[in-house]
Amino acid sequence: MFLIRRGLALSLPGFLLILLLGAVPLTVILVWSFWTWDPATYWIKPNLSLDAYAAIGDAGRWSVIVGSFGKAFLAALLCLLVGYPSALAIHFVASPRWSFVLMAAFTIPFFTSYLIRAFSWRLVLGRTGMVNNFLMQIGLIDEPLDWLLFSDFAVMVGLIASYLPFVIFPLLLSLRKVEPNFLAASQDLGAGFLRTLFTIIIPLTKPGIFAGFLFVFIMAAGSSTEVQMLGGAGAPMISIMINDVMRVVNFPLAFAISAVVIVALFTIVLAGNRVFGLTKMFEDFK
Amino acid sequence: MNRLQSHLRGTLSRRQMLKLTASGIAGLAASSAMPGRAMAGGGDIAFWGTGTLDIGNDWQRAEDAGLNVAFTDNGNDPGPIVARLVAGNANAIYDISGLQGGAEKELATQGAVVPWDTRKIANWDKVWQWAKDIPYLTVDGNQIGLPCVVNADSIIYRKDKLGVVDSYGVIFDPKLKGRVAMEDAWINSAIFTAMYLKEAENAPIVEPGNLTDDELGLVMEFLIKHKRDGQFRTFWNGWEQGVQLVADEEVDAMTGWEPIVLEGQKRGLDVAYAAPVEGYEGWGNNLLLHRGAVERGLGDAAHELANWIYSGFYGANLSQSRGYVVPSDNNIAYAEANPGEFDPEPVRKTVDHVRNKFSGKVYWQNTRPDNFQLYEEWWQKLRNS
Repeated sequence: MFLIRRGLALSLPGFLLILLLGAVPLTVILVWSFWTWDPATYWIKPNLSLDAYAAIGDAGRWSVIVGSFGKAFLAALLCLLVGYPSALAIHFVASPRWSFVLMAAFTIPFFTSYLIRAFSWRLVLGRTGMVNNFLMQIGLIDEPLDWLLFSDFAVMVGLIASYLPFVIFPLLLSLRKVEPNFLAASQDLGAGFLRTLFTIIIPLTKPGIFAGFLFVFIMAAGSSTEVQMLGGAGAPMISIMINDVMRVVNFPLAFAISAVVIVALFTIVLAGNRVFGLTKMFEDFK
Repeated sequence: MNRLQSHLRGTLSRRQMLKLTASGIAGLAASSAMPGRAMAGGGDIAFWGTGTLDIGNDWQRAEDAGLNVAFTDNGNDPGPIVARLVAGNANAIYDISGLQGGAEKELATQGAVVPWDTRKIANWDKVWQWAKDIPYLTVDGNQIGLPCVVNADSIIYRKDKLGVVDSYGVIFDPKLKGRVAMEDAWINSAIFTAMYLKEAENAPIVEPGNLTDDELGLVMEFLIKHKRDGQFRTFWNGWEQGVQLVADEEVDAMTGWEPIVLEGQKRGLDVAYAAPVEGYEGWGNNLLLHRGAVERGLGDAAHELANWIYSGFYGANLSQSRGYVVPSDNNIAYAEANPGEFDPEPVRKTVDHVRNKFSGKVYWQNTRPDNFQLYEEWWQKLRNS
């Protein structure tokens, strides 16, 4: 009891800080989204207006929100498909030394700025980039492939490269909680690797799968650099749209778009938690 | 009325804004900006300008005119700059701005900036007349902006592939489908397209820099059609992306800034800058006098800085270091009188080159057209198309 009280007391400043830095700005955004523009003061004034929310229906803004979530969903899914086998290899196959090397390999790209990371893909996927050069050298193509860059394909490559580690870490955390006895029992009962994977490992790592998916999904939904640098002409994304709107000082609309996105993300988190039991990831810490 | 009283007498929403943001985010911004601000009093001027106006350590030379200049980059994004000048803390921190032309009327109407008195600027008569005549500089007969740096933009193109290009038509030429680009900014791309439609297609457009609802619809529908047809390889953002598109041969032609041509040539490419028959997109980065500066008793010092900017050293410096031109006769004169400081020939070459661009047809860039929020809506439609 004493330890619990001490623990609560120690964590109080952290909770307050999270509240201040997280909840307060979100609340402000939500409140301001109902305010209206006041040309006299060049700022928004208190109101209870739905005009900004109605404006989301104009100029195809809804489709940008839905499209951004679609891109983020696909990026998170592909990250899982690439990240899950990697996490399995790190956890089950690699020695501690190789685990460290593999983890470092995933994190080293993060030692540089996200801007440089995205920009470097232009040099790899461009008309005179490494991929096109290689394909032409081996005689597979005569002309550079234009669709490698400035396309949805390039955006997806950029997003996966940027956010892959964020799916691997929760998966590793989740894999550590799989009881080795279960795997041994499965083996003793004659199950092969795939059967063990689909009947034991994947069901037991569902919270990690969802946590990893969520990390990537949320970050990809809020990304702009990869889309602006690697996407086609004027490729849309939520954050680019908010930036465009802020440039013309349409603050209520920017706040309304942000509020819709925040509510949508919260809904996804809550629904996912209900289905995948995210809280189970923390059960052995109690 | 001092600044504090002025704030307290603001409207309710402004007070709320100040409480909510200025005390927090803006307070942080202010504290980070304050070390850069010159000490109060005398000729200490805090200059909030586009990064390209910065001459670094050479601001010390303004001490010859009794001025202590502290320069801070404003990011060159008109929306946030205007918002911070009108409703934020920029007027409390900075004395003058250097901003792309077009927002003068809006800023003057809101009382964020005040008119210059050109009688206090001895070198004003050395400023080129056509630069004084830039349409956005005066509001109701008052001199709100002073032209600090001018230039004119057009098309960067691969001469070895396209021959000599002299029309924006190259950007919309179906033969170059997927091999052209424009900037990811309606501020530039809408006016370029409007210029082309007005001059080459006889479209009913009066002022390409300030399109009416109907004119804007016409221009943007044209852009949307070409985007859907796959005409554009991409829309580019920023210097490094622009250079990469040219240097890595991603495009054969794109609207953009002339220094990109020089960068391409440095890399051995046969790239050139077009002199389009439809004209150039002229732009000016203009000096604005903040209301706050006058309230702080720094009005005369600000005028003295404007005079120093036109006196020759600053112009010669910018021409040599960045290839930009201050529209004044004094730049070449200063370089010739001080050959130990500047090589007069490149300065003359740069100044003459820019001046020649303005001898033909020019439409002025306008960062704040009357329908600027409608521009954003159309740009969104273009993105989604």
